[in-house]
Amino acid sequence: MSEKITAWINERIPFDWGSLKHSLDEPIPRHMHKWWFCLGGTPLYLFMIQMLSGIALTFYYVPHPDKAYESVRYITQEAPFGWWVRGVHRWSGELMVVAVILHMIRVFFTNAYRKPRELNWLVGMLLLVTIFTFGFSGYSLIYNQLSYWATVVGTNITASIPVVGEFAAGFLRGGPVISANTLTRMYVLHVGLLPVAAVALIAFHLFLLRLHGVSDAEGATEENSGEESKRFFPFFPDHLMTELAIGVFLIFLISQLAIIFPVHLGDPANPGITPEHIKPEWYFYPVFRFLKLFSFQTGIISLLVIVSTMFAWPWIDAAIERRFPGRDISIYVGIAASLMMIMLILIEGLSGQVAFVSLIIGVAVFIVSAMFILKGLLKK
Amino acid sequence: MNFQAKQLVVAIISLFFLASLLTVGYIESERLLPEKKAKAVVTQKNLSCMKCHEEKSPAVVAQWKDSRHATLGVGCMDCHEAKKGDPDAWEHEESIVAVIPTPKDCARCHEQQVKEFDASTHARAAKSIGELDSFRGVAAGMSEAIGGCQKCHGNKVKKLKDGRLHPATWPNTGIGRINLDGSKGNCASCHSRHQFSVAQARQPESCAKCHTGIVHPQVESYDDSKHGLIYQMRSGEMNLKSQKWVAGKDYSAAPTCATCHMSATKSLPVTHDVGLRVSRALHPVVSTKHKKSDRKRKNMLSACGACHGPDYVKAFFSQADSVLDSYNSKFAAPAEKIMAALKKEGKITPEPFDDKIEWVFFELWHGEGRNPQKVARNFKFDFLGEAERLSPGISGRFVKSQGAEKQAQQAHERDHTDGESGPVTH
Repeated sequence: MSEKITAWINERIPFDWGSLKHSLDEPIPRHMHKWWFCLGGTPLYLFMIQMLSGIALTFYYVPHPDKAYESVRYITQEAPFGWWVRGVHRWSGELMVVAVILHMIRVFFTNAYRKPRELNWLVGMLLLVTIFTFGFSGYSLIYNQLSYWATVVGTNITASIPVVGEFAAGFLRGGPVISANTLTRMYVLHVGLLPVAAVALIAFHLFLLRLHGVSDAEGATEENSGEESKRFFPFFPDHLMTELAIGVFLIFLISQLAIIFPVHLGDPANPGITPEHIKPEWYFYPVFRFLKLFSFQTGIISLLVIVSTMFAWPWIDAAIERRFPGRDISIYVGIAASLMMIMLILIEGLSGQVAFVSLIIGVAVFIVSAMFILKGLLKK
Repeated sequence: MNFQAKQLVVAIISLFFLASLLTVGYIESERLLPEKKAKAVVTQKNLSCMKCHEEKSPAVVAQWKDSRHATLGVGCMDCHEAKKGDPDAWEHEESIVAVIPTPKDCARCHEQQVKEFDASTHARAAKSIGELDSFRGVAAGMSEAIGGCQKCHGNKVKKLKDGRLHPATWPNTGIGRINLDGSKGNCASCHSRHQFSVAQARQPESCAKCHTGIVHPQVESYDDSKHGLIYQMRSGEMNLKSQKWVAGKDYSAAPTCATCHMSATKSLPVTHDVGLRVSRALHPVVSTKHKKSDRKRKNMLSACGACHGPDYVKAFFSQADSVLDSYNSKFAAPAEKIMAALKKEGKITPEPFDDKIEWVFFELWHGEGRNPQKVARNFKFDFLGEAERLSPGISGRFVKSQGAEKQAQQAHERDHTDGESGPVTH
């Protein structure tokens, strides 16, 4: 019977199923036995959770200024399991940002972006931008005071980008001010354009990964040396099981977070009242604080320079490496950049609280030493 | 870590995840229990109000915490907030507030409901006593008017120079209250503050605050009717908190005032215009048909339809109409005629309420007239006697002989034994 079914399917879908099995036999470098090196799969998991929980939320969400907040309230307070689904969506979104940043740090410090993988770094950077845009547009959909004013600030920042800023902000807002158009646009962005872009970019990211294979971790050469058969282990089932363990742990973690720290509603958006403290989501803190340090235009231009540098880093790094071979300047740049980012997050998050300055310094010292220890370990 | 160990890790974490899902299920089932109340949300702008009023008027805060408003974060300032220069603005603890939130304030969220209410007789209740009962008010003294008619009908709220409300005009919970901002009405008449409960307004006891007593004995009629009796027996099974509350769908125990006059039916939406389903005007001396009475009767038939078949309902209304018509032809119209004749003959002055018979007449139609069981007796003994004293022989033009009196007596007895007075006054 099963043969008959197989034959029937094969006739209708003339595909070499064996090749699929073959594709699962991707050799994985031995260092991937370490959990720390499996961060790339984490965002993919989270993305799937986001898709499923997001679809559930769209069943109830209404993208209209008069009804958006009410529909979010309905989801949170009345819809069956709505509070949990919203909590899962929110928390997996937060974890997504953490996972992507950790993945980037791992790729950066193991030099996995170097030739011939520059293009995949570029795709990864585009994914990072996509995820931040996801966060921004999703946050604005809640339409409470904080999200409304975050949208106002966000679109104002966009407007001050030289040359294209006004146009981009006008396009995002659908007019000179935040209106019903803005909400529709954010909604289309969040549930239409960005998911399509993300799926395409993730597919291309994985495609390139498979073409090049997983990079050998620098510094892990000892483990990866020796015969071919010992240097690698198969993707299926060994590595898949590792990923599965991480995946199951993630959904457990997110579910617990949604229970223990449920998502709140806040005050409904009121364009007439500016709240005392406007703050974006924590992952925008570095940008937000950075812009406060300089005059607006200077801040925007230097931010653009930083982001462009991040995009072009594989080539910049190659040029530095040619000039100063073996000096590992990228590691120091990476440490400086990570430190700056963490400092900016802490300063913005704890702004005005003198008691926390010592904490910031303490954390900074800890991170510096951790980075050097990591570097030493990788070198060994 | 080898493959088996990894499998074990996956299995263990999966169990944890399962436990997490079970927790979610448990929280959800607890949340859905009707007695579990959602948490009150105190927003930033209401924090300082709460802090003080939890001390000074704890019950008000507790009532609010029990309300649906509280779970939605709709708090003090969302309703009481006023702007400088508003007619009802009052400076209170560095905030500008209005003591009385009016339908205008409620309309910020409940626009449709206020619009319907504004078109209803309820909204005109204060205005209507200005036209009708003012003489009685003046004659008895203002305190009677304030403590009597205005308690239900509402009054015109006035303000003192220091911004506080005039003590003769506030407190007042009348349904047609004319507020400082010019709006008419008072939503809290039925949805008592600070809980603003929908369930409360659906109960007949809520309407009974005003629709009672000799001049408007609706609740007495209801209480003695089949509808009222069933309600008394099954009041615990009314599912009053259900969102839509459609008779026959969300509950079937008994109909209340709101069931027939306001709530959604199979074919009609819920309405706050209580007149939309009332076809006859019972308040004039001779009861008349309302404008678009056929349409309104049809609306009411839709409400009756949840429990009764169309033939039953039509026959019921024809019986009720015949009682009204009979009352009109036997008592109301003749009495009106007698009064006109007395005025014409100069037996009474053109000034209203300066002759005793004018009070008798008023009591008859405004009081007893709305309760036909009593009207026959009173018309015969009180009114005709009084008219005869003023103008001997006048009663003979209306009640020509003993035979006619007998007829009146029979009519009285018939009305009396008919039992259900519901259709007439209710």
